[in-house]
Amino acid sequence: MAGSQSFILHNRLEHQTMTLDEYRRTGGYQGLRELLNHEAPENIKKTVLDSGLQGRGGAGFPAGKKWQLLPDDAPHPRYIVANTDEMEPGTFKDRLLLSVNPHTVIEGMIIAGYANSAQKGYFFIRPSYQQVALKFEKALSEARAGGFLGQKILGSDFSFEIVVHRSAGRYICGEAKGLIHALQGERPHPNIEGHLTEEGLWGRPTIVNNAETLAYVPHIVRNGAQWFRDLGKHDKAPGNKIYSVCGRVRRPGVFELPFGTSLGEIIEEHAGGMLPGYEFKACLPGGASTRYLTKEFFHVEMDFESMSKIGPGHRLGTGAIMVFDHTCCLVAITLNLIQFFARESCGWCTPCREGLPYMEALLAAIARGEGEADFLPRLQEMCRHMRNAYCAFALGAASPVQGLMEDFEDEVKAHITHKKCPLEHDDPNQWPLQPMPGIEDLETGNERHPSCPI
Amino acid sequence: MMLPEDKREQLQTQILESEAPREEAINVMFALQKHYGYLSDEAVSEAAHMLGMTTLEIEELATFYDFLYREPVGTYVIHVCDSSICWMYGEETVMDYLSKTLAIAPGETTADGLFTILPVCCVGYCDHAPVMLINGKPYGPLTPDAIDSILLDIRLNHPECEEVK
Amino acid sequence: MPNLIIDEREIEVPKGTKVIAAAERLGIMIPRFCYHEALGSVGACRLCAVKFIEGHRKGIDMSCMVEAKDGMVVSTTHPEAVAFRKFIIECLMLNHPHDCPVCDEGGQCLLQDETVSGGHGRRRYPEKKRTYEDQDLGPFVQHEMNRCIHCFRCRRFYQDFAGYRDLGVMQIGHREYFGRFESGRLESPFSGNLIDVCPTGVYTDKPSRFKGRRWNFERGPSLCLHCSLGCNTTGNARYREMVSLEARNNKAVNGHFICDRGRFGFDFANHVDRPRTARVDKKPVTWQEGVETAARRLRHIDGQKVLCLGSERCSLEAQWSLKQMCRNLDWPNPHFFVEPEIQRKVTTAVGLLDETLAISMGELENSDFILALGVDPINEAPMLALAMRQAHRRGSTIAVVDPRPVSLPFSFSHLAVTPDHMDLCAQVLVQKAFDPRSAGNLSDEAAHVFASLPNTYTPNPDLQGRLKDLGQKLGESLKPVVVCGTDMVRPHTPGLAAHMVRFLREKVDGARLFYVLPGPNAFGAGMLTSPEEPGSVLEILETGNIEALILVEQDPFWSYPDRERLEHALKKVEFLLVLDYLPSMAVEKVQVVLPTCSHFERSSASFINHEGRLQRTSPIHRGGTPISQVSGGKHPPRTFLDHIPGGDAKAAHEVLAELYGAVSGEKEGALLNGLQDWLAEKDAPLKGLSHQKDGIRVVPEGVLEDVVFSWRKSETIPQKKGLELLLTHWTFGTEQLSAHSRPARKGERAPKLMMHPEDARRLKLADKDRIALSLDRGEVVVELEIAPNMAPGVIILPRHRKLQWQKLKEWRVMVQDDGIRKTEGPK
Repeated sequence: MAGSQSFILHNRLEHQTMTLDEYRRTGGYQGLRELLNHEAPENIKKTVLDSGLQGRGGAGFPAGKKWQLLPDDAPHPRYIVANTDEMEPGTFKDRLLLSVNPHTVIEGMIIAGYANSAQKGYFFIRPSYQQVALKFEKALSEARAGGFLGQKILGSDFSFEIVVHRSAGRYICGEAKGLIHALQGERPHPNIEGHLTEEGLWGRPTIVNNAETLAYVPHIVRNGAQWFRDLGKHDKAPGNKIYSVCGRVRRPGVFELPFGTSLGEIIEEHAGGMLPGYEFKACLPGGASTRYLTKEFFHVEMDFESMSKIGPGHRLGTGAIMVFDHTCCLVAITLNLIQFFARESCGWCTPCREGLPYMEALLAAIARGEGEADFLPRLQEMCRHMRNAYCAFALGAASPVQGLMEDFEDEVKAHITHKKCPLEHDDPNQWPLQPMPGIEDLETGNERHPSCPI
Repeated sequence: MMLPEDKREQLQTQILESEAPREEAINVMFALQKHYGYLSDEAVSEAAHMLGMTTLEIEELATFYDFLYREPVGTYVIHVCDSSICWMYGEETVMDYLSKTLAIAPGETTADGLFTILPVCCVGYCDHAPVMLINGKPYGPLTPDAIDSILLDIRLNHPECEEVK
Repeated sequence: MPNLIIDEREIEVPKGTKVIAAAERLGIMIPRFCYHEALGSVGACRLCAVKFIEGHRKGIDMSCMVEAKDGMVVSTTHPEAVAFRKFIIECLMLNHPHDCPVCDEGGQCLLQDETVSGGHGRRRYPEKKRTYEDQDLGPFVQHEMNRCIHCFRCRRFYQDFAGYRDLGVMQIGHREYFGRFESGRLESPFSGNLIDVCPTGVYTDKPSRFKGRRWNFERGPSLCLHCSLGCNTTGNARYREMVSLEARNNKAVNGHFICDRGRFGFDFANHVDRPRTARVDKKPVTWQEGVETAARRLRHIDGQKVLCLGSERCSLEAQWSLKQMCRNLDWPNPHFFVEPEIQRKVTTAVGLLDETLAISMGELENSDFILALGVDPINEAPMLALAMRQAHRRGSTIAVVDPRPVSLPFSFSHLAVTPDHMDLCAQVLVQKAFDPRSAGNLSDEAAHVFASLPNTYTPNPDLQGRLKDLGQKLGESLKPVVVCGTDMVRPHTPGLAAHMVRFLREKVDGARLFYVLPGPNAFGAGMLTSPEEPGSVLEILETGNIEALILVEQDPFWSYPDRERLEHALKKVEFLLVLDYLPSMAVEKVQVVLPTCSHFERSSASFINHEGRLQRTSPIHRGGTPISQVSGGKHPPRTFLDHIPGGDAKAAHEVLAELYGAVSGEKEGALLNGLQDWLAEKDAPLKGLSHQKDGIRVVPEGVLEDVVFSWRKSETIPQKKGLELLLTHWTFGTEQLSAHSRPARKGERAPKLMMHPEDARRLKLADKDRIALSLDRGEVVVELEIAPNMAPGVIILPRHRKLQWQKLKEWRVMVQDDGIRKTEGPK
């Protein structure tokens, strides 16, 4: 639901993309126009730094700080990359953002280019977002026609061009260093030592930002760093965040809310709470590579700082909330997640490439009732070892497993002791033979009917 | 059976305008895949030739990715999302239903060459779970009736069914 | 120099050393797979994990990725590190097959070692092991993918280090597959190194498959003798047979690798037709009888009528002994080269190389500009191409001036000009390197030289622009190297190369000179031949004055271009004696044969490589007929012998000593005495030794006073009509030793005549046409290959063992258009 403070997701109808004119009417490209030839690039960097904008792709690294890591005397050409790979299970916020408001991301990229004296931007998008890519390309031509993109933008000395680069589909492409290789047409292993801000694409300084991060930039530039800070719920959670909720809730979808909104508020108020007949069991707060949270944590504010305070291994991630109900066996869910990670492992380093299938094998044995008592400590030890893999993929993959072992030990033990899933019944996946009752369509508030196509 | 002249020229232009030919590798492979129906050995050779790469170097890329098919697939590739939300919403039974309806197992192609069923990881449409992609186009939330009508729709409009570029 | 503590032991290491290398210096071998000294650190396997206590982020990190820093404290034995390494090795063993009993790597397997060191034992992974289908990678490398632990070493060697593009990694995750696009022979002439770098048994030595375990072998350090680079090897022998070779690490020469010709060329030592017993008039005799017969004949011949011919593959001991013997018996000085031109080129090169100019192959990797003059590395001296590639990877510019279709595994500037124009081309390039304004800083001599350097490359104005650009790069370089061949070049070119480098040193003292010589001990042969020595052996024989000819490990039939003339000349000689280990044609035609040992057998031998580096081989085994040949594959006869079958052969210098003793009546053994002294002697042509690790460079310290700083102006380049026929080397099939090796023969490709498309068009010939090439002494029938990257105006023929090419009256031959015609039918 578009809150009173939402400014990115104005138009909630996914089928309707904000046109250039509509965007401009809400102040779009004004920030760009004002800063061109008036603001020094270092000042833009400082504004973004002061706003406290944290990367929205899951790592939470301050965007302004990243921009400042690119030295002023670094060689040219330089590149800005908008990361829309978004293959984290449960995450679809960028999809919606770009379907609804592509221009804010375009303007954000241009401003990022200006601030970093970059000449070219790449929009890196996953293959299952074909529609989104087409909408983005249409918006790019609108922007070019309007003089906001291309040579000597709005009569200034600054030129910037954006190219859409389609991936062929692998989770590791969303990892910044994997992305660099993928873009260069090489195997997307993340084996780059050193900072991308110094040596990225083709050895040149490169800034990789999540699409949502870039989306806020025009607004920060136009309204000021303090304005952005004040939007958030508290000091350490500046700005807005686009949260998504999926699972067995009444209104699965995407919500732009003040950063630091509580977990409970998002699930119960904005997503409408659980579907009738379903009780909340646990959720993953930020996509598949986070740890389970139970109802006791509903009060926790959904920002990087507050989430990490819960305990080791807890993090906000993408802020994509996956809700699991009382009928879900968490062992099965975790197994499904680890199967995903094992399949997507790029294969560069040993613990991820071999260790994740190893964890999968043990969990699968537990799930089908063939687990043994020592599987628990073995799995926990393996989760700890994932810390020393080459990149953060393995660590993320281990998070739900670690959460399962530590917070749902009883459920795991029940599988081992009783040699079967305690929640087992004839039709384990209650696939509806008729439309799921109760799911509301966010736009109309009416019950949703299965659409074809989306 | 090579790529038509105009398409090849278009790709050559893209390659020339890129920072390095390899940047266009995926685009070239997608174009050839579309032309040949799947990324055949012939397609791999042609891609290698266009990009100044060896067939091995193309293969290193082609076998890494989900949406490049190195084995023959049907005209319509049905990717069924099997990540946790869709799975929760019945992915396994969606897969079963499709298999039963089309009389093939996941990984196989129907005898008339129309459909192939493949699993895929989270496609980013979790709010419409359970979801499948057909040639890149998302459909969901799925019920048996919905699946039936989608498949029927495709069969009826087969030559003209709008494909995503 | 950082000072750090590893496992409570302190060590100081050079800046930039990684912790894993620092630990090695302490004798601590931190377990590793993907780390390799030559391939660098990538941090993929995660096995080299250690615990950092000070000086780095506290906790576990990879010792191959972290640079040693002052005050660092590291523990390899910390329980956390040990537990992690144990986990890693368990992960790597999840899918590893139980192949040890049938895997050649067993007993020399890094995976076995690290599994034990990691403490891994029983497999507790409940799933099945993943398996792969193997590929046929050709005759040299066996492929067994089930054993793969995905360390990426093979891909990093094959693609990054060696620059070939037909092997790599496909698929994703734990399905990753290392191999080619499809089964087929590996294109790289360095593919054998996969056998050495692979830490498990995925890539194993195919020709020696299943022939023995490492502990069955007699092993020892040896040298490759298939070119002048002198790469270091380790040889394996079993049952009196050479089984395989491995690369031996020598940082100054070949690093960790060798080429396929060197790796698989050893089998000449096992040749079934190797002379094993002394022979008189083609009949086998006892050793005593052979030596006596030879000595008797020689005693009755006037000393001045005895001609001795050594070769570039003789050991230094043999060459020296031959010279001493001739001196003591008052015979004319021995020759070591049959071709006067080659003799001239080598003696020039050897005479001009000194400590200030010489550069090792290892140091060549740090050069920033390489000008290769008349060299085709992949075909002549393959490891040179690999060294040049490392220089290229570090940003070096490489220019090759050569008429042949030179191909290298990296981008380079190829100036494909005819042999007559190579010198001019190189001189113009050097001229462009010097800014005329700064020419004022040159010494008078050098300024005079600069003034006489040609400015324009007149034969082809199109090349002028390229020469200017390259010249500029040369001018900016700090460590330029001139690599000069001695095969394709004209006789004065090696001298020119030396003077060019001396000239470049006026500007930058990092300039160096690198010769490629025609044999593993051509340098020694050159040192022992004085430049004034009359060159033409054949002319000497044709005078009819020679009554006895002694060939020491020399087979003129193999390489002399005019077979007919050679045979005529030999007919004039009454007595022919051959000392050799090869079943050469000479062996068939002579009166007495005394078999010698190969360098794998019986005694140590010294060889001097192209840069003047003296290196020694150790014998691998005693020598004698391989047991498999004695018993025809069956069990050896169950009788006791008091001698080794076929074990009569001795090292060439030993045979010469015996012969000398028999001829002169003096006690043998005196021949070698002066060798060490000569190397150090003041009166000798050398003035001192430079002690280097891994071999001793025996070139003088400084420039010789009596060599004039001369320059040959090449203005008038003779214009000859027709196409010049160039004889060339190929990686396989032309070098004599490897051409007698069964595994190396499998690497051969069919010989081709190579021609430029322009000339082919004029002659109306097409690729793959069968050609009859009319030469002075007959026809050579061969298939045509059109090569656009060679010089027009020349045709190129490999000196292939499958071609009867020795039909030329002289070394330099012009073939007219009517001498090249299309023909049908088999060759």
